[in-house]
Amino acid sequence: MRLYENEAKKVFQTEGIEVPAQYGITCTADDIKLHADDFQFPIMIKSLVLVGGRGKAGGIKKADSADDASKLASEMLGLKIKGYPVEILMLENAVEEIGACYVGVTMNPANYNVIMMVSPSGGVDIEQVAKENPEAILKIELPNNDKELPDDIAAKFAEFLAKGIDGGEKHLDKLKNIIAKTFATFQKYDCKVAEINPLIITPDGPVAADAKMVLDDNALYRQSDILNILGIKETRHDVSEPTKNEVRAREGGFIYVDLLDEDFKKDPEKLYVGLVPGGAGYGIFSIDETANVGERFFDDRVVPVNFMDSGGGPKLKGVIEMFSLLMDYEIVDLIITSRFGGISSCDTFIRGLIECIRQRKKEGKRVLPVYGRMVGTDLPGARDFLENAKRETPDELKDMHIYVGNQIIMAEVIKEGIQKAFETKGWK
Amino acid sequence: MSEKINATDGMLFYITSRIRPELAKRIRETNRLETVVIGLGGQGTKHAGLMHDYGSEVVAGVAPSKGGSRIHETIPVYNSVSECLEEHPNVVAASIWRHYSTAKDAAIEAIESGIPIIVLITEGIPLRDVRDILVAARKHNTVLIGGNTPGIIFPPERIKVGMLPDVFYPEETENGKPGAKGITIISRSGAILYHLSDAMASVGIAQNAVIGIGGDGAIGSVFTDLVPLAMGYENTDLVIVAGEIGGMQEELLAQHIKDNPALYTKPLVAMLSGAHAPEGKTMGHAGAIVTPGMETGTFKSKKAALESAGVTVVNSQFDLIDAVKEKLNNKTYFKPERYYEKMRQIWEAPPPKAGWGTMVTKVEPNNLVVRGYKLQQLVEHSNLIEVAHLIVTGELPDADTIKSLTKLAVDAAMKPLPDVYRNPNEDVSKTFEKYLINDEELATFNPDGKLAQSEKTIFCLGRVAAYLAKILGNDSILTEIKSDEPFSNVIYKVITGETKVDSAKARMLEAMIVASIDHGVTPPSAQATILVATVRPAYEVAVAHGVGAITDIHGGAGQKAAAFFTACAEFAKKENVSIEDATTAKMKEYIATGKRIEGMGHRVHTQDPRRDVLWQLVDKSGMAGDCIAISKIAGDIFESVRGMSLPINVDGVIGAIIADMGLDPKLAKALFIYGRVAGLSAHYFEEIATQARMRRINFAQAVYKGVGEREYPV
Repeated sequence: MRLYENEAKKVFQTEGIEVPAQYGITCTADDIKLHADDFQFPIMIKSLVLVGGRGKAGGIKKADSADDASKLASEMLGLKIKGYPVEILMLENAVEEIGACYVGVTMNPANYNVIMMVSPSGGVDIEQVAKENPEAILKIELPNNDKELPDDIAAKFAEFLAKGIDGGEKHLDKLKNIIAKTFATFQKYDCKVAEINPLIITPDGPVAADAKMVLDDNALYRQSDILNILGIKETRHDVSEPTKNEVRAREGGFIYVDLLDEDFKKDPEKLYVGLVPGGAGYGIFSIDETANVGERFFDDRVVPVNFMDSGGGPKLKGVIEMFSLLMDYEIVDLIITSRFGGISSCDTFIRGLIECIRQRKKEGKRVLPVYGRMVGTDLPGARDFLENAKRETPDELKDMHIYVGNQIIMAEVIKEGIQKAFETKGWK
Repeated sequence: MSEKINATDGMLFYITSRIRPELAKRIRETNRLETVVIGLGGQGTKHAGLMHDYGSEVVAGVAPSKGGSRIHETIPVYNSVSECLEEHPNVVAASIWRHYSTAKDAAIEAIESGIPIIVLITEGIPLRDVRDILVAARKHNTVLIGGNTPGIIFPPERIKVGMLPDVFYPEETENGKPGAKGITIISRSGAILYHLSDAMASVGIAQNAVIGIGGDGAIGSVFTDLVPLAMGYENTDLVIVAGEIGGMQEELLAQHIKDNPALYTKPLVAMLSGAHAPEGKTMGHAGAIVTPGMETGTFKSKKAALESAGVTVVNSQFDLIDAVKEKLNNKTYFKPERYYEKMRQIWEAPPPKAGWGTMVTKVEPNNLVVRGYKLQQLVEHSNLIEVAHLIVTGELPDADTIKSLTKLAVDAAMKPLPDVYRNPNEDVSKTFEKYLINDEELATFNPDGKLAQSEKTIFCLGRVAAYLAKILGNDSILTEIKSDEPFSNVIYKVITGETKVDSAKARMLEAMIVASIDHGVTPPSAQATILVATVRPAYEVAVAHGVGAITDIHGGAGQKAAAFFTACAEFAKKENVSIEDATTAKMKEYIATGKRIEGMGHRVHTQDPRRDVLWQLVDKSGMAGDCIAISKIAGDIFESVRGMSLPINVDGVIGAIIADMGLDPKLAKALFIYGRVAGLSAHYFEEIATQARMRRINFAQAVYKGVGEREYPV
């Protein structure tokens, strides 16, 4: 879970790292005028969005006066940065800069060691530095997962920085202290990233002018102290504006992602396929399979429309909603579905699917053809239920074709389903 | 196909031998690849059973505070990995099912214990904890799989460690037996793994190992560890890696192949998924900083990297099938119909019947087997102490244990009795029950250690001797007992009130007690004990409940049978007729007046297995008289009188022996209770060790799961 800048700064501050004087957050420009007497200008106005590159996008501005601040703020509040609308601004004192550097801790994704990096090239895109001027970065890995940074390493980092930045030598001890604290903060709060960029050297010493912190979602359960301090009550979803299908799925308790834009225009020559695939892994793979089968056998006229992850063992209501969502989604022509594996129950799955179709028929809602296969837990019960249901209401279920057991591989099932849909449409 | 290849020919053993040569040497002798399950919540316990059913040797479970219990009634549980390894030193693999908040400690304990292969099932362990686990795994040269893995499975050996379903198919050799050859699949996602395997099996390509490496943000073994390992195994013909967007494992694999071509000796196909996935928002770009200039995480980057290292990359089942077939020159390992047939059988099989197990006594018509030994053999060869120890612990005691247990029983008999009032008209079982409940000596005797359950039981048997002395009015004899005499003597003294032991009589009395020791979970007495044991009362409370259920209707028929046989014998004498005629006349009389003839017939046995051995012993002892003679003909006479077969049962035989020995008929039930106390103890301890608290019990669903029948070591 990524923290907003003001939150990350609060964490660093709690650990004794100095940050600029904080003047609070606001969502209106008028607020700034109202409280201008409390600010010591110049101040920084920063948009609180969960992406990098705010500066370039005009999401960070310096204001010298109340009028200036109010004007900049109202401009900023209309912005969209990489899809994230700017709704909240933070205000802080603009510190006097002698020099700037970078201090960051993260996990090396190659070997999962903690890695700490510092660079005297602060305030700029550190990835750019890594690419163009790698010797300007000092990286040290901690293969023993130390919880505190060993003193000699902290010293090494501090010296490297002090040599490279204006005013650094004077504040060697403070730099070392901040480096050690940044590292300890990373471990203590279960961070995935803990970064200060830039760490600005002011006449009084280093100050964390911008902070980035990503907490490990898996560890949030044991970080309730800091979450309480920050006033964060539930896990933040790190996505830009969700589509209405995505919102609906979240309410239904499963993960869903639209692959097409909301204003997407349907191509009448193509077949649009909704997917109810089971777990996340096959959720991604089934998108590929559907597209590939379309390419290989149907002149590339098949478009998968969604990613879905039903989670471990969805309940009946969840299954009904998964199919309902796709049947309500006008663009979809056909639903492909698969159950395979150990955890989720075929029985719940087939009951949910059949219940969904029957309910919708009764309510006069659109019912789409469903093609799929189920293999795995509780299959005998699911098979009996399916056979009975088909006997009881053959008409309602005539467009639902579910293979029981792995009689043919899933790619063949997808191909058959698309073939059938093409035939129904009178396509070749 | 439940046949398997020799354990030491498979890949699991190969991996073990690479990292733990000493352990591999020991396994060559045992030929067993033992696994353990760590974390026994719902999932861990359930999958321990499924792993066992698949064919894995699940020798133990580990869960703090559950030590001493058993899961699935048969798998022993230990408090810690080190305790477990003391008993099972040859464990090759452990699966960890603990909650993410405690998984770290469990994993590190398992790693430090030296188990070579650890499969971390737990999902969502905090990354800081995972890093600590990885530090330990590197230090101890452990093959760590996961976390968040469905596990590993070796179809030729029929071993799985984890929760993979039984959908993988091994090579079939010409003689129809499984072979070790095949391809190895290594995948980041579980569900994709099943679909890959399914695609391969659909064209007859076998899997000799399938490894889910785990989907969490930081995991143990990665592609660069496992692909070379699999390729080093002689029976792997090709490796499939199933990668996906995100992370940089595929790119690292590509680099590793370029840097170490000698390690990649077999064909490799990469199945990547995510070609059509939308560009997700990623958390930072740490990878880009750490390895500058290396684009990672996207389908494009992964495909390009792998292809530049000479790896065939596919993105669909159809292409995968084509690529693998081509690299294997269309080699197949079995007929696909065989796979589909097996799958059909698995999925169509009716759900398994509900059932629960007992390992104490196997009860079949005319056959009673206590912990693997026929009861009649125990009656013939063993004394009460030995059989009580056997029925509680599962094994006969050695000489030293017999000695210490005997002393324990004798000393227990000499301890002061509780003050219990006995109404002369009350059932003797009720009196025993009162003694058991009121006996503070028994309540406060709570040994610990390995023999605790046996010692508690034996101590109780000593106490029962004292109760019996009091009930029979022989309590003054208790002061005559010597601490070093055989317990058989004590039994004789308390029953007869005589200080001089007649060893033939003593032997006979003890034989009758041993014969009554248990009848599985079928009798109401055992069921009463088990039922109360579900709420975990004190030992003596549960045993007392069982004892209280022994009445004239169950277990108490011997007393009335003794009276009947005595009446027949007296009638023969008085009327001077043969015992046959006397018995016929008496039976007719009983039937005419609507009185039950007790000691005849049995719910399970037509020929009670305890009957003949008691007859033989009493014949040998020279004490057999008219009542025994009558007991031997009673069944036939009953059939001639009544026209139905109702053979003599153990109660009847005991009644006859008691009568011929000239003892109080009331003793028939008392001896039955005496023996049954040991059996009830065994059921009590089994229930608390193997079953959930307050479970609902369907006694008809009980299944014997104990050791097979074995020869008595004469």
